Amino acid sequence: MGLLLLLATLDGLAYAAQLFMVAVGLTLVFGVLKILNVAHGSLFAIGAYLASTLVGLAGAPELSLLALALAAMATGAVMGPLIERGLLARIYEKEHVLQLLVTFALFMILEDVQKLVWGVQPLFEDAPVRLLGQVEVGGIFYTAYQLLLLPGVAAVALVALTWFLRRTLLGRTIVAVTHDREAATAIGIDVRRVHLVTFTIGAGLAALGGALAAPTTSLVPGIGVQMIVLSFAVVATAGLGQIEGAAVTALLIGLARSLAVYFAPELEVVIPYLLMVAVLLVRPAGLFGRTVLQRV
Amino acid sequence: MLSLARVEVAIQGARILRGVELVVPEGGRVALVGRNGAGKTTTLRAIMGLVPLSGGTIRFDGRDLARVSPHRRTALGIGYAPEDRRLFPSFTVEENVRLPAEVLGLPRGEVRARLERVWELLPELLELRDRRAGALSGGQGKMAALARALVTGTRLLLLDEPFQGLAPALARRYGEILARLVARERAMALLVSESNPELLRPFVDRVATIERGEITNETTAPASTG
Repeated sequence: MGLLLLLATLDGLAYAAQLFMVAVGLTLVFGVLKILNVAHGSLFAIGAYLASTLVGLAGAPELSLLALALAAMATGAVMGPLIERGLLARIYEKEHVLQLLVTFALFMILEDVQKLVWGVQPLFEDAPVRLLGQVEVGGIFYTAYQLLLLPGVAAVALVALTWFLRRTLLGRTIVAVTHDREAATAIGIDVRRVHLVTFTIGAGLAALGGALAAPTTSLVPGIGVQMIVLSFAVVATAGLGQIEGAAVTALLIGLARSLAVYFAPELEVVIPYLLMVAVLLVRPAGLFGRTVLQRV
Repeated sequence: MLSLARVEVAIQGARILRGVELVVPEGGRVALVGRNGAGKTTTLRAIMGLVPLSGGTIRFDGRDLARVSPHRRTALGIGYAPEDRRLFPSFTVEENVRLPAEVLGLPRGEVRARLERVWELLPELLELRDRRAGALSGGQGKMAALARALVTGTRLLLLDEPFQGLAPALARRYGEILARLVARERAMALLVSESNPELLRPFVDRVATIERGEITNETTAPASTG
């Protein structure tokens, strides 16, 4: 029982780290662009597939971690501007339902693109996991990749993002646009540029989540679906646009899901959504969200 | 300096501005008065590029503002304080006031000089500089919004209903600040909207009345208190 609990906790931590990276990108993009981007799951999947390909091409295990980083950066840098400039910039002023439908359509298209490029056979490249070996925790041998690297990268991403948003001029302009797009324009902020930068960062974070997940799982068509749905649960439970809140909630949902896997497998799929519903019933704006009064 | 010629704005098919004609010369202080819904706010927002024109032209120093992106208008020396303040609530007062200067990419010394100009005019804000804008009272928020507009508004200041919602004592204080501002910065132009023209008489030289999106009357106001 004790060992199982420890194992569930370690699994939960590793999963929460991946979940956080995807969810934080989603919540950042929503906070600034006010668009719930369903295609965020595709960016996770493309990051994962590209990482797997690059790890395979790298050959030497020592280069595999570099390959993961490169895959995340390339996906974010190429897909981010392409999607934001090519598609989203045309629908900012449209209704939310239309925006949701457009990003859903993009998600479907990108799902097929993944099948065209990488096929439908499972892909598995675990060189980064093997490279870092195992560590012993309380009598359990666990991969250092999942125990140390994944939570470590997630923690660095959280600190770096928070620092960037609070301490840099570009970060403050992003926060300003989050608060009030029109007021930001009126004081001289180029909102178009802020949208582009934010979406690219969000895309990069989703791809990073995917790239880091790639060595721990077989990549099959549809991997982006589960991640985007769970990320929505994290974002809604935390409160839309809440970055630190997304970290806490990802941890909560990651641990709950993992405990369910070991102790109540029949609840594994529903537990994140039960948590979300319970939180939203009590706090409709989410655990960390604030209800905004609007003059009508 | 600023001229609006036959300016038209339509929002969702409704004509809000119907051929507005207005001139604010360098150093001119113009009040735009009218009832709620007459088009005062839309006029100021049109000058800032926050609503698209469906006709007419707005020129600043002879330059057609249609060719200047909305976010670049502050670089021309225009500052705008909206009616509902629109401060960024998670930023402190100083961060709110400093941000427009930083966004302009001004050298540090110039940013400091502009902030000093603002603190000198609004000393009460110095005590509040570290307070989050979301924690300010309505009156304090109006002062902070004015301060933020002053940072970029070195040539033209647009104030939308600055006295709206202010308690009498605060309205008096706001009036004193405006009077001091217009006395000190004679080259700076001011366009201020208000539903109650009496509040503006001490510091404007011209009053333009707007009704249903049209300027219907322009009068010369008594000399400024300077």
